Amino acid sequence: MNPFRLVIKELIYRKVSSIIILLTVIAASTVSVAVYTLSKASENETRKIMREQGLNLYIFPKGTDLIDFYSVNNTLTFPENYVDVLANSKTFDAVRHLTGILQLKYPNWIDPNGSSHQIVVMGYKDEAMQRFLSKQETMGFDVAKGTVHVGAHLSVNIPENETFEIRGTNGELYEFEIAKRLAEGKGMIDQGVAFNLDDLQEILDMEDQINKIEALGCVCHDGRINNARSQVQIIFSDLEVTEISSIADARENQRLMMNKYGSFIIPFILLISLLISGMLFYSNVSTRKYEIGIFKAMGNSKSFILFMFLFKAFILGLLGSIAGFFIGSWLAEYFGKEIFRFTSMSIKPLWSIFGYGIIIFPLLWMLSSWIPALLASQVDAAKTLSQD
Amino acid sequence: MLEVKNITKTYTKNGSTFTALNDVSLNVDKGDFAAIVGPSGSGKSTLLHTIGGLIKPDLGQVFYKGENVYEKNNRNANLYRKKSIGFVFQQFHLLPYLSVFENIRMSDGKKANKKSIEYYLEKCLLLSLKNKYPSELSVGEKQRTAFIRAIISEPDILLADEPTGNLDPENSRILMSLITDFHKKGGTVLLVSHDAESANYASRKITLQQGKLI
Repeated sequence: MNPFRLVIKELIYRKVSSIIILLTVIAASTVSVAVYTLSKASENETRKIMREQGLNLYIFPKGTDLIDFYSVNNTLTFPENYVDVLANSKTFDAVRHLTGILQLKYPNWIDPNGSSHQIVVMGYKDEAMQRFLSKQETMGFDVAKGTVHVGAHLSVNIPENETFEIRGTNGELYEFEIAKRLAEGKGMIDQGVAFNLDDLQEILDMEDQINKIEALGCVCHDGRINNARSQVQIIFSDLEVTEISSIADARENQRLMMNKYGSFIIPFILLISLLISGMLFYSNVSTRKYEIGIFKAMGNSKSFILFMFLFKAFILGLLGSIAGFFIGSWLAEYFGKEIFRFTSMSIKPLWSIFGYGIIIFPLLWMLSSWIPALLASQVDAAKTLSQD
Repeated sequence: MLEVKNITKTYTKNGSTFTALNDVSLNVDKGDFAAIVGPSGSGKSTLLHTIGGLIKPDLGQVFYKGENVYEKNNRNANLYRKKSIGFVFQQFHLLPYLSVFENIRMSDGKKANKKSIEYYLEKCLLLSLKNKYPSELSVGEKQRTAFIRAIISEPDILLADEPTGNLDPENSRILMSLITDFHKKGGTVLLVSHDAESANYASRKITLQQGKLI
């Protein structure tokens, strides 16, 4: 008789133990898939939040006092072509999304009602494409010439359909179309205006000057920020890298915590599930010792008996891994939508782990049935079948 | 065809040694129908299983067609049991998740084809039950199924270990007549039995007492 059919029939006949073993695989697979999917979602969430919050690395002229940088209207500057030099460097690959910025306090901006305000003005150079790295979607403000993006607090003072006016250091009044009124919560720009860099340089008479480069460094604790620092130092010794650590750390810690729990929960559930399955496989051997005796008496080999037990474990592992994948993905999607605000819509089944699952779980469950299967192959047929 | 030469088998349990077979020798010719009789614990089943290749004796040899059964490699030893030997046990040992037909089919010999199985099922009054499971059968029906399973691949030797032990007289008679049919067609039968009536079907009696032939 076809041994595959034999295994399937036995599996169906001993429903209870088969279902319990199947449930252990499903539990392990579900938890693994759900935790992994949520961990990936957390990673994406962190990345998205970083993008929302802005770039996490600032490159300043060496000696810049960060307190001054945010409070005074003139800081150390450097040529904007530094950005291009960095972008074209083969050795500078630790950060992405290099954006040259000129950011200053503008102490006396007069709103359309005639009131005076101190605002932040930021001029954005188009994000530099790094010559030796793969292309990627731009992250920073993309402000077209002749237009501005107005921060949420400032926007309140400018009626709809009005243009944005600002007086240059030469006394001339400049007028810009408001291309975007930004939502609240964008950081410093809430109380400021984003210009195209060329426009702001002209207003402030600071041709070719910027005072910081924003960039996105890897949000990870593997020393790549230090790497970024040393890479910048090699090219421009007059610049230094500062990490906006509060945001980066918070998000990174969140992600690491998730991974930490995952790295405990997954092996724990796996171990418990494998132990339960192993015991059930063992009990299956005891239940079937007469059957095994008959197989041997009928001339079936030890490898045939091994195969029957291992194939049973394989089938249960395979079915459980498939079911667990879909349940785990569904759970991740269900709970992920509650947890992750930015990436909720992109939490989808990770098909790449489906492939791993249908290989790993059957193998693990075959491993858990290995000792029982070996014991089965060693059953003394004469002893179990004898009447003496 | 079968030569058992000076076989001895001892078991050790809880520190004490028990000799199940003590220097037993016998010859079985093709077409023999021998009943192995003796009291409980006399070594009847041990002898049967030793002949069937399931218990390796501590001393002595079992020759089948001139070849020592216990010097065969694993593959040939399995083939010996698969092709040359058919076992029937008191407890039937049918697989509970297979139907009557499938239990017989699991013999896996080329001769275990549908036509041949149905021939024996009809002969043993089981044809209408071929799709039933062991739990739906009477003990007599179970033993007849086990009997067909043992002989379906047309083995040279049928080793029957107390086959009527669980049967009522009527079912015992039916089974013994089936075994007799097998024998009449040229099969060799070694029957272990407590039951004198069943043993009377045999043309030869081998008596064991405390592991020795008497």
